[in-house]
Amino acid sequence: MTAAAATTEVVHIPDPADALSARLVRALAKTPLQILLMAVGLLWLVPTIGLFITSIMPATALTNEGWWKVFAHPSIATFANYSALFHNGGLTGALKTTAYIAVGNTVLVVVVGALAGYAFAWLDFPGRDWIFLGVIALLVVPLQMALIPMFKFYDLTGLSGTVLSIILFHAAFGLPFAIFLLRNFFVGIPKDILESARIDGAKEGWIFLRLILPLGLPAIASLAIFQFLWTWNDLIVSLTFGVQPITVWIFGQLREFASSIDIIAPASFISLVVPLAVFFAFQRYFVQGLLAGSVK
Amino acid sequence: MSNLGITAEPPVAAAPPPPEGGERKYLTGGLFLLPALVLLSVWLLYPTVYTIIRSFFGPSGYLGSWVGIDNYKTLFTTSALVTAIKNNAIWVAVVPAFVTAIGLIFAVLTERVRWAVAFKTVVFLPMAISAFATGVTWRIMYQQDPGMGAINALGRVVSDAVSTPGVLPSALPSTSALQPHGGGLILKTPLHPGGVALLGLTGIAPDAMPKGSVQAVRPSAKPGQIEGVVWRDFKPGGGKPGVVEQGEIGIPGVTVELHDSTGKVVQSTTTAADGDFDFKNVAAGSYQAGIGAQTFAKPFGGYSWLGPSLITPALLIAYIWIWAGFAMVVIGAGLAAMPRDVLEAARTDGASEWQVFRRVTVPLLAPVLSVVFITMIINVLKVFDIVIALAPDSSQANANVLALAMWRTAFTAFDFGTGAAIAVFIFLLVIPVLALNIRRFRREV
Amino acid sequence: MRGIMKRRAGYGVVVAVAAVLALTAAGCGGAAKSGVAGAQKTIVVHKNVKGSVSFFGVWTGTEQTIFGKVIAGFNKQYPNVKVKYFPEGDNLNTVLATRITAGNPPDVADIAQPGYVKQLAQQHHLKPITYAKSTISKYFAPQWLKLGSVGNKLYALVYKASNKSTLWYSVPDFKTAGIKAPTTWSQLIKDANTLKASGTPAWSLCGSSGWTLTDLFENIYLRLYGPAKYDALTAHKIKWTDSSVTKALTYMKQIIGDPSNIYGGTSGALQTAYPTCVDYVYSNPSKAAMIPEADFVSSEILQNTKAKPGTGFNVVPFPAITKGPDSTAVEIAGDLLVTFRDTPAIEAFIKYLATPQAAEIWVKKGGFGTGNKGVPAKDYPDAITRATEAPIGTAKAVVFDMSDEQPAAFGSTTGQGEWGLFQKLLQDPSNIKGIEQQLEAAAEAAYKK
Repeated sequence: MTAAAATTEVVHIPDPADALSARLVRALAKTPLQILLMAVGLLWLVPTIGLFITSIMPATALTNEGWWKVFAHPSIATFANYSALFHNGGLTGALKTTAYIAVGNTVLVVVVGALAGYAFAWLDFPGRDWIFLGVIALLVVPLQMALIPMFKFYDLTGLSGTVLSIILFHAAFGLPFAIFLLRNFFVGIPKDILESARIDGAKEGWIFLRLILPLGLPAIASLAIFQFLWTWNDLIVSLTFGVQPITVWIFGQLREFASSIDIIAPASFISLVVPLAVFFAFQRYFVQGLLAGSVK
Repeated sequence: MSNLGITAEPPVAAAPPPPEGGERKYLTGGLFLLPALVLLSVWLLYPTVYTIIRSFFGPSGYLGSWVGIDNYKTLFTTSALVTAIKNNAIWVAVVPAFVTAIGLIFAVLTERVRWAVAFKTVVFLPMAISAFATGVTWRIMYQQDPGMGAINALGRVVSDAVSTPGVLPSALPSTSALQPHGGGLILKTPLHPGGVALLGLTGIAPDAMPKGSVQAVRPSAKPGQIEGVVWRDFKPGGGKPGVVEQGEIGIPGVTVELHDSTGKVVQSTTTAADGDFDFKNVAAGSYQAGIGAQTFAKPFGGYSWLGPSLITPALLIAYIWIWAGFAMVVIGAGLAAMPRDVLEAARTDGASEWQVFRRVTVPLLAPVLSVVFITMIINVLKVFDIVIALAPDSSQANANVLALAMWRTAFTAFDFGTGAAIAVFIFLLVIPVLALNIRRFRREV
Repeated sequence: MRGIMKRRAGYGVVVAVAAVLALTAAGCGGAAKSGVAGAQKTIVVHKNVKGSVSFFGVWTGTEQTIFGKVIAGFNKQYPNVKVKYFPEGDNLNTVLATRITAGNPPDVADIAQPGYVKQLAQQHHLKPITYAKSTISKYFAPQWLKLGSVGNKLYALVYKASNKSTLWYSVPDFKTAGIKAPTTWSQLIKDANTLKASGTPAWSLCGSSGWTLTDLFENIYLRLYGPAKYDALTAHKIKWTDSSVTKALTYMKQIIGDPSNIYGGTSGALQTAYPTCVDYVYSNPSKAAMIPEADFVSSEILQNTKAKPGTGFNVVPFPAITKGPDSTAVEIAGDLLVTFRDTPAIEAFIKYLATPQAAEIWVKKGGFGTGNKGVPAKDYPDAITRATEAPIGTAKAVVFDMSDEQPAAFGSTTGQGEWGLFQKLLQDPSNIKGIEQQLEAAAEAAYKK
């Protein structure tokens, strides 16, 4: 096996007809499947549509009747709830803080997680598998239990109330899943690729950057999507440590003794735009066939 | 080579040939691992150790006073916590399997459908909405009142198509002379030809009265007939029950039945605009007049999704709705990176699509599937946000789960010691999960 | 000495609010008032009090904005004290407990449960606010000092209070039924039956929010037995199996025992959380006629329904059961402000909040009740607000919400203790004896800790 053939420079452009499900789909009758999927998709969408309609109805209408009644008199729909949120000062500042936290901790998790995932998958050291099990076990730590000891720690180290404290907290809590996912993913990379690279004298660092990362892109992309998402929507950690991302800001708009659905609904929609954009952006890394033909 | 004998081996994480000398490779491994170990030790390991130690101490203070295993005794004897353990068992049994299976099906089926991205977005959207907003949305959807809750509204549409509700679903008798009878009402006082039956009803809102109703009039007796009136026996202030007064409106469209002394219905008629009805050509004898059950048939009242018995299934549905997107995306990533040559080999050897799927694809996907499955098990052991946001307080005791019990005990009842004990119990629950999977890891080594 | 006096006099500052000048020598403590005759406000400015105050509160949204004005009023007198307000909303207790346990609490916190205040004081987390005693005595009746004290030391200022002894009703429903708002219990029950006959269920209950059910019980008990016995039950000097409790629960059964007169029936009420039960009364068409809850019901009505004051909604005090002074006793819930540290800045802040000026700013905006006698009745923005808030300051007898005064595990935890057991009572109102025994068992366990 030559070094040239061992690299992934040769990318096999997949023939769509080869796709696994293409055959499955042809094996089953095509149209009933499409209809079924469409029906499932529509049903899946109903609660989200409900939330959206709730966000464009005035609060006084919602206390009277269910949100689907809007179809009977669509003229009451209004975007007043949304504009009220935007006119409230502080929204942009909170959005910026959320962006710092979400992007910061996602990058950290991906980098640290990939390094560790590769170590558990393809490097050897004593006790490797037991440590790996230990890392997975840490998935179970509920973050409420870390609030008190971490608060004391941040007080002592002067990190209280900083964005960095939140980034580190989220990154640490995201690591067990990241390491679990990436290690299990990397393990699926054909061992021959790595072997030939090593035989050719490649250093581990080079293997990591030039082989593992490109091949692991789908997993890294999905990890990034979820880590970004989970930290974008977090409330309790930022609230406890005195930082104000958008979730805390929205929370500060809720009324004490009156229903705030006219704030919650539009705020949820404003808030989901960015994670959705991240989803679209990273979706294109789910390209199949990167590995096809690379070992020939 | 026998084509049907081809089964893909789960990927083997065999140790690659050592790069350069013994210690050097350990050093490399250590360096790659170092940042992760630092973050994990400070933010996860230290709080875990703190929590374990804290669970042996009293309710308040950073450490508090030693109480030994008292907190654990409380844990296993308080009924609230026993319910929580039971509920978590249900969650663990149901959710990970459903989520992984649905995610796998969606990931596979949408790979080739032209509008895959649209479908994936739709299924992924629930993950992007905060757990709090999702809880609020589903709580509104699950409302019992069919006028306010979407799911029961659908139930009402179906139910109304099958059986029409009565004209007066909420009516009540105005005097004790009217007694319940087979779902309807019957006037106990016996009637003879020439008698007058007064069937007064209350509990009807003015705008629920049938259209075209007018002032009720007490009919005069006619020989050989039984006269009567069905009317809304209420005027502002109450009025005199059982007496037809000015301001009290008759109820049209009600079916009145005449029962003979054996209870058989011999005549039935419908009331006029002023509530008047008459039974003509009545033979001598004793009769009773009554209103049939169909008048009072209640419309569909809605299921109590948020009630104590259905709350856990209601939560499970909402949770699966959220997390199927997670499974679909992660498994989709796994599918995208699968090496195709093994599949090609199997196909050229003559295996059918289903065989390829079952014996090649799924085993190749096994590591990713296990990530999804195990992550879901652990997520479900920690489930918190959706239970607190969706379940009304009256069902919280029935919907209770361990992470919620822990948080309540620590932060609402201010007993950190017992809260820590519950957390330790959650920690311990993960051990069987890992033990089941040790076999898999062992095999790979 | 002269040098010091000169320095201190140099700190005096001239401030004009409405063309009035004031000089202060803060060290000497006195304020020199300018002699301009007529209605002028005298603002005493203390420029030498420096520092910052961190304040954890529950007020969010509009209430936070209004409190910002209160802080601004404070800063007119103490321009060098920076007050940082943190809106914590529902999560206040969680965040507060975390920070206290971790050893870094805020300077001032707003706590709704006297029971929790007592616990914190006994654990020596709180600093007494004895310096504010004279100010509070000046403006509040003695019972307010008692409410804020643990043992003999004063720890909390009850800054804001809600009147829980109110009953809200739907005016159109009452008109249809041809009845007037009830003033006595027997009239109330008669009215409830008339409403049922008129076609609208009389009661809208938020059974899912257990505290609304305890509020109902507490009002009945207060009206039956008066403040002294109420306090005894609160302190668990009377057991929950006592005959007085049985009688009060029997009265309560007259309301909760007739599911056909509750909107949604028993199961519907049990799934309804506050403030949805308010919406039911004031929707169009109205689904129920009355809701027995506190003064803050009006904020839900005005925010989320189309009902207008007087024509759509109105309020009466909780009906009297016995004759005599107990029939006007008021049950309140409130915001108790406690301090975790003692600095000149914090002392200034607390003392300011005890003055009528601090209360008036909020009173004028509505949605604010206080025991501060210095607030004139005309400050309340409308008749309905005056009717519900003024009694807090003028009532002869004021008691605090019982479930808030008790240990949290019994009085304010979801699904257990009082909240859970009263929900069980709503489910089965005939089982009074059984519920009483369970209440007593839970109380005993909680008070033992």
